[in-house]
Amino acid sequence: MSDAPTTNQPGTQNDRVDDCLAIGSIVSSNSHIDYTVEIYNETDRERAPAPDECGFGQPVFVKKTIGVDEYVVMGVIYDTQLVDPDQGRSGPRLAQGDQPQFTPGYVEERTKFAGVALLGTAVIGDDGTIESPTQQMPRWTLAVEDIVERCPDGVTRDFHTTEDGRLQLAYIERLLDVAGPLGAEVTLALVERLRESFPAKEHQRVLNVIEKDIRWQSSVDRGVMR
Amino acid sequence: MSTPPSSSTTTGSNGDLIGTVAGPGDGPNEFFIVTPDEQAVKTGEFITYSVTVEGTPRDVIARVTNREQARGLPETFMADPHVAPEAVAGTLGVPTEDIDLYRLEATVIGFYDTNMETFSNPRQLPRPGTQLRTAPDAMLEAVLPNLGVGAADARTESGVVTLSSVDVTARDGLAHMGWLLNRETGAVDLHVPIDEFAATHLAILASTGSGKSYTAGVLMEEMMKPDVRASLLVFDPHGEYGSLSEMRGEDMFAGEDGYRPEVEYFTPENLRIRISELSVGDVMAVLDNPSDRMQERLAEGWRTMQQRESRTWGVDELLDEMRNQYGTDDASVGALEWRLRRSIQRNELFTTDMNVPLDDLVAPGRCTVLQMDTLSRRDQQMIATVLLRRLYQARLAAVRERGDDPNFDGDIIEFPLFSLFEEGHRFAPATGDAPSLGIMRTITSEGRKFGFGLGIISQRPSKIDQDVLSQCGTQVTMKIQNPTDQKAIESSVEAAGEDVLRELPGLTPGQAVVSGDAMNTPVLIQVRQRHTQHGADSIPATEEWRTAHEQRQEQPTRSEGADMGGGDSSGEVDLLGDR
Repeated sequence: MSDAPTTNQPGTQNDRVDDCLAIGSIVSSNSHIDYTVEIYNETDRERAPAPDECGFGQPVFVKKTIGVDEYVVMGVIYDTQLVDPDQGRSGPRLAQGDQPQFTPGYVEERTKFAGVALLGTAVIGDDGTIESPTQQMPRWTLAVEDIVERCPDGVTRDFHTTEDGRLQLAYIERLLDVAGPLGAEVTLALVERLRESFPAKEHQRVLNVIEKDIRWQSSVDRGVMR
Repeated sequence: MSTPPSSSTTTGSNGDLIGTVAGPGDGPNEFFIVTPDEQAVKTGEFITYSVTVEGTPRDVIARVTNREQARGLPETFMADPHVAPEAVAGTLGVPTEDIDLYRLEATVIGFYDTNMETFSNPRQLPRPGTQLRTAPDAMLEAVLPNLGVGAADARTESGVVTLSSVDVTARDGLAHMGWLLNRETGAVDLHVPIDEFAATHLAILASTGSGKSYTAGVLMEEMMKPDVRASLLVFDPHGEYGSLSEMRGEDMFAGEDGYRPEVEYFTPENLRIRISELSVGDVMAVLDNPSDRMQERLAEGWRTMQQRESRTWGVDELLDEMRNQYGTDDASVGALEWRLRRSIQRNELFTTDMNVPLDDLVAPGRCTVLQMDTLSRRDQQMIATVLLRRLYQARLAAVRERGDDPNFDGDIIEFPLFSLFEEGHRFAPATGDAPSLGIMRTITSEGRKFGFGLGIISQRPSKIDQDVLSQCGTQVTMKIQNPTDQKAIESSVEAAGEDVLRELPGLTPGQAVVSGDAMNTPVLIQVRQRHTQHGADSIPATEEWRTAHEQRQEQPTRSEGADMGGGDSSGEVDLLGDR
């Protein structure tokens, strides 16, 4: 990929990566491009993400400083999991019988995890927009407690635009692979988002073909079609 | 023509590298090639590779017969015709450049054996990984037609045998028909040996409008050039060869010794058949349903007349003879009289004394065109029958050296002949219903020994007598879509392999497959431009209708009485014209 900056108009909040909503932090990874994010709740943050802000197919990013440059590592939520150590029992509980001291478990342990598949990287420009987006696999690994932020639509659009203005979705194969059984669905969710960002007819047509291809392929995989 | 390469092999290869052998193919002489470049090799292209046969490295020539895509973008990328698959691929980050791989099938033709002067199949396929090149232009020019290039012809000054060094244009007696269709215009010129097709006969087969007469015109031009000076006789039922006379003035046909081709036209007015030249079978063919008894009477009378010294007898003398034999009131002779007078005596074609002198008709360096467009089909056949029989006997007499015999008083033609039949199915119909068929069968089966070649031009191979067609050793086949005609070619033309037949429906006017004795392997060519004008263009119907209509509008209207019948003009015979 070339290092030339994209030619989008800077300035609108919608296409800048500063002041975005933090939706969680990384807690573990399953592979180089597959991370688990713990979604913030009301106790973690003053402004916890609403359900539609950390939903399935939501593009996210993590800011990362490599050397002197600031990058965003782009990803998408492809899976979510709820965790409740109380297994459905609510309220304070007593300690175990052999535990001499009564310790009420008031720590809120219920939480929501999200699986994030990495899609690519981009350089953060001086004005807060992204430049030189690449959809190749990121070379660096993220760290535990790296903050995952909700990606605004403008950034998502920039990330999917090549320097010559074409639409790019080069990560699809990796995404389908990482997301497994939900791969087709998450890709379709992304395609749906891109439809709004790329209203031009030729882009819509390309998205149509891609959508059909994914739908057909997943139907074949599931044995619905042949 | 490309420059000869300096190669130490027997043939020499300098063509472009086009692909790699992937492995053996379906048939024993087939192999697969993988190539990334779809443009480098077209179907029908000649490619070459090197194989060591009995210790000598040989450049084997193979022909690409089929191609398929081995690798490329998935079909789902083509779901919307408005979106280029490359655009989808580009969006998905799929590489689009240099990803296509093609799998070609090739059939081994063989290496050119300078001792055998033809192709020899090495009976071994190239190893997988062998590099393949396009066969050099100059080499193809030397080995595709049956030119009999030997080791001596191909030896360069340094003593190396290099086929590409053979200068085909320096040879005499070759007809430049055109160039290989797969290569650039004029890159590989095809020169067909005239001796070969003049001896073993020629068939030009194509549906109408595909350039049959054009191709025949090209061959005739080549045959009238100073290095050939053929004796040509053209049976032209449509008057399509009127423009050949232009050859007389063209400098390219002039020889250094002052030779200019003669082009003679014979119209029905100066085409006459002496009745005594007819055989009894010919007469039977023109009579209306003679009964068995009539046939027997006629045969006997005819035989007696032919034994006479005089050759200027006519129908009257024949009838007198038959009345002598069978009596004046024989009913069959009476019936024959009516038929003979109607079919022969009243037909201006037949005379008692005049006969076209063969010396006027044929001569070396002379192209004689018999313009028979005003004659009925039966008369055309009669002329062909009698002329062919006389010419054949004259050639027979020359070859058997009857000229030395003082008692021999027939014609003698001391030079070989080539006779071309436009609408060949008229003269040798598959139905057998033509007096000319017999002599045409004789000439095609035996003419080679007597230096009498025939060229059959036809748009309906299925309507030509299969014996005649199968004897045509060289075939120029152009676009043919009719399945019956394709089948006729398949069954009667030996050299027409599957490759050739597959090409036929897809050819465009001016493209032809040349196969048979004159070629070492069938070749797809583009026929060259004619030096003289082509005379068989379609009539511009709409223009002529318009002009005719305008003329009619200008004429005063005239009323015409209704024909209530009873007159002597039925018009039917004239309209059909074939009776």
